[in-house]
Amino acid sequence: MVKNLLSTKTYIGQPLKRVDARGKVTGETQFLTDISVDGMIYSAPVYSRIPFGSITSIDSSEAQQSPGFIKFISAKDIPGENQVGVITNDQPLFADKTVRYIGDSIGLIVADNPARAFDIAKLIRITYTELDPIFTIEKSQSVTTGFIHENNISCQHKVIRGNVEDAFANADKIVEAEFTTAEQEHYYLEPQACIVTPLESGGVKILGSLQCPFYVQKAVSKVLGIPFNKVIVEQAPTGGAFGGKEDVPSEICARVALAAIITKRPVKMVYGREDDIQLTSKRHPFKLKYKVGVTDDGIITAAEVRLEENSGAYSTLSSVVSYRSAVQAMGPYVVPNVNIQSISYYTNLPPNGAFRGFGSPQAAFGHERMMDIVAEKIGMDSYSFRKLNIIKPNDQTITGQRLTSSVGAMETLKKSYNASNWGNCPRPQNEGRIKTGYGIALTHYGNCLGAAGWFMDGSAVKITLHRDGSVTVSFGLVEMGQGALTVVTQMTAEAFGIAPSRIQINPTSTEYVADSGPAVASRNVIMTGQAIINATENLLPEIKLAASKFLDCPSQNIVIENDKVTDNAGNTHCSFGDLTDYMYRSNYRMETTGWWHVPELNFNPDDGNGEAYFSYSFATHLAKVKVDTLTGLVKVQKVWAAHDVGTAINPAGIEGQVEGGISQGIGWAVTENLKYNNGLVQSQNLSTYLLPTANDISDVEVIIIEEPEPQGPWGAKGIGEPAIIPTGAAIANAVSNAIGQQVNQLPISPEYVLDLINQSKEQ
Amino acid sequence: MMASKMKTSFFDLKLTVNGNEYNRRIPTHIRLLDLLRDELKLTGAKEVCGEGECGACTIVMDGKTVNSCLILAVEAHQTEITTIEGFSPENELTKLQQAFIDDHSVQCGYCIPGMIISGEQIIEDFHRPTRKQIKDGLSGNICRCTGYTKIIDAIENTGKNS
Repeated sequence: MVKNLLSTKTYIGQPLKRVDARGKVTGETQFLTDISVDGMIYSAPVYSRIPFGSITSIDSSEAQQSPGFIKFISAKDIPGENQVGVITNDQPLFADKTVRYIGDSIGLIVADNPARAFDIAKLIRITYTELDPIFTIEKSQSVTTGFIHENNISCQHKVIRGNVEDAFANADKIVEAEFTTAEQEHYYLEPQACIVTPLESGGVKILGSLQCPFYVQKAVSKVLGIPFNKVIVEQAPTGGAFGGKEDVPSEICARVALAAIITKRPVKMVYGREDDIQLTSKRHPFKLKYKVGVTDDGIITAAEVRLEENSGAYSTLSSVVSYRSAVQAMGPYVVPNVNIQSISYYTNLPPNGAFRGFGSPQAAFGHERMMDIVAEKIGMDSYSFRKLNIIKPNDQTITGQRLTSSVGAMETLKKSYNASNWGNCPRPQNEGRIKTGYGIALTHYGNCLGAAGWFMDGSAVKITLHRDGSVTVSFGLVEMGQGALTVVTQMTAEAFGIAPSRIQINPTSTEYVADSGPAVASRNVIMTGQAIINATENLLPEIKLAASKFLDCPSQNIVIENDKVTDNAGNTHCSFGDLTDYMYRSNYRMETTGWWHVPELNFNPDDGNGEAYFSYSFATHLAKVKVDTLTGLVKVQKVWAAHDVGTAINPAGIEGQVEGGISQGIGWAVTENLKYNNGLVQSQNLSTYLLPTANDISDVEVIIIEEPEPQGPWGAKGIGEPAIIPTGAAIANAVSNAIGQQVNQLPISPEYVLDLINQSKEQ
Repeated sequence: MMASKMKTSFFDLKLTVNGNEYNRRIPTHIRLLDLLRDELKLTGAKEVCGEGECGACTIVMDGKTVNSCLILAVEAHQTEITTIEGFSPENELTKLQQAFIDDHSVQCGYCIPGMIISGEQIIEDFHRPTRKQIKDGLSGNICRCTGYTKIIDAIENTGKNS
């Protein structure tokens, strides 16, 4: 059965148009922010205006006198646990003693309209005893008192394999370098938003702009002290997420749910943009320290890597970001001896968390800058040096995991390099004001949650056949712009052999399917795809039996393909609708569920050895940049982006992911520059936080490489995050190539570029 | 000063939106975007930045594209407004709307109403716009998902076929 499923490919690989596009081009799609509920009231956050201190008093008397005031809610109103930490229990829903960043939640104002709620929230008078705040990794490491939590270490991971000391002693050259990367704000266009309605059951119905309905369910259950089955979470059409709506909606929905329970009314909250940027997570800034040993003929023998992450005030998802960056710290290269340490430090900044790539873009910046620096030191070109050390089938990763199949790293490197024609271009003269450069960067992205999240790496679907031949699918992950609804439609069509037009996908809700884990880690295609195959296998024998009765032929002859049911000999056939009508009338089963979890992973967290992820997506980005040496401005002209996706489910969707990922990568590397002043975000909106515009993007040539993954549905692997991971590193390598100086930090601001150019003049 | 403490003054506003005439008594401080979304329940225009940088609230006012977050509702007195809802009133898509579907230009969709309206304006202004003209014309519309390429494709293709 599986074989049959895997060999058919009618709808897989086709650029099916997005099933949700029409409502989005007409403006009819109702995003959360567009939705109103009868009797709805509004809430606004009350939060700390200081970065670190203890609360000495909270006075709501002035707020209570304000027109429109309905309720002020704070820690003492919580019936369950005052705790929303997603992995570590270090984050209260409402701070009652200590506040740890500007934006740390203290309470919630409920009022009769949204503007009033936000105005009244500012009238809550809070006094504090201020403590000495910590904003940098350096200070977080060095203080001996005044810790942010019990101590300042949020989490740590390591990978230790072979013997680095011996390997360094025997290396021909040892090369060391240090790098830093900065925060990145998600700037999803739709801000954080939800509506919570109290239910007669004593529970709540949550409608939210969110990525992870099951995270929200768990958090709300804990805070309200009610069972999961009284917390219904449905995802509304969501205007972008990128990781920013992974864990953050849990705390927001839990606060609003509490307000709904207390006021017994539907409550809506939509963050204003400036609040959204100040209060919610960002991409972790990293400090990266690399020491690499290499032979004179260019073989890497050892790497010692120290990654330090600014975790912000709470650990949130730092632990898994840190894990991913550690096991991917040397990229898709063979390095037999490693000592990798990845440590995350608390600071009094907004908690940093999930952002597309999840530590991988930062790690890629480290290993790919390092590849160029080492190549230069030993007199090799950056392409040949990579080719020499790249991971191939049956090689081991730095964690000692042997990769046997679907290892497309070399193909992505060769294809992007050949497409760019860099090898045949004469070295740019670079005498004038504008200098040109090229840079390569690779990634091996571990698909799904890996060993650190294996216990929750399973997903469900439910598929209902209707008697008219239409089909409803419920899945447990979400559409957040990436095209999930479209690929789920395609995969269901392929599995059943029916036209995509028969298929309707439900909004994602905790009511329809079991906990499917988070919609993160580029896992939708793999998890939902495999669950669809499982569901189909569960029902197909019944469908074939019915068809054999209906068409009067042996059931093993039944073929459902191209939306037709036949006996495979052309003697008889019927439409799928005729068959389902017969099935209904004959009391056949009309519904099926499917489940898939990733294979068990053999991994030892004590030394970081073993199977870190069950499968890897590979990519190479090759960037061409122009640097204006007078202004310091970097213009990314073109990126050749080769991606090993296993099997392409929807090539147009993949192109869209890669083009969008590269645009975000250009933002992280060049235009976006988040500035804090004593814990307060200075670049609070688009006039100062510069997202790439249509004029800032590069041309992108997407090269799809298919090295089928035996454990992926139809051979497919994830694409969402690989799309952004190598971009920043490739740009930094290209700028280094253009100006002849090592670009060791992101963002590559004009000031930084001019500093580097001035340094080169002084040399 | 706090909006809730200000003395609210009112204005009798008359305007045409998507061919329908409206007479409303409105507070003078509300923005055109608030009027459209909250009073007239036309939610196609979105608020993203609220400071005129992102173009998600783009509408047409007396034949010109404007950011409705930067215009007071009272300034729209006796004007003709078209919002995204006015582009396909009979449920029939414009060529550009269809091209956004055909060219895979849509991801999360939050910027798309603004993109469509700016795109229609670019095609009207340049007839067969070049990619450079399209990029310049879209530079006030932010998209965080697509990287713009397929949005530019849809506008370019529609221009060529018009």
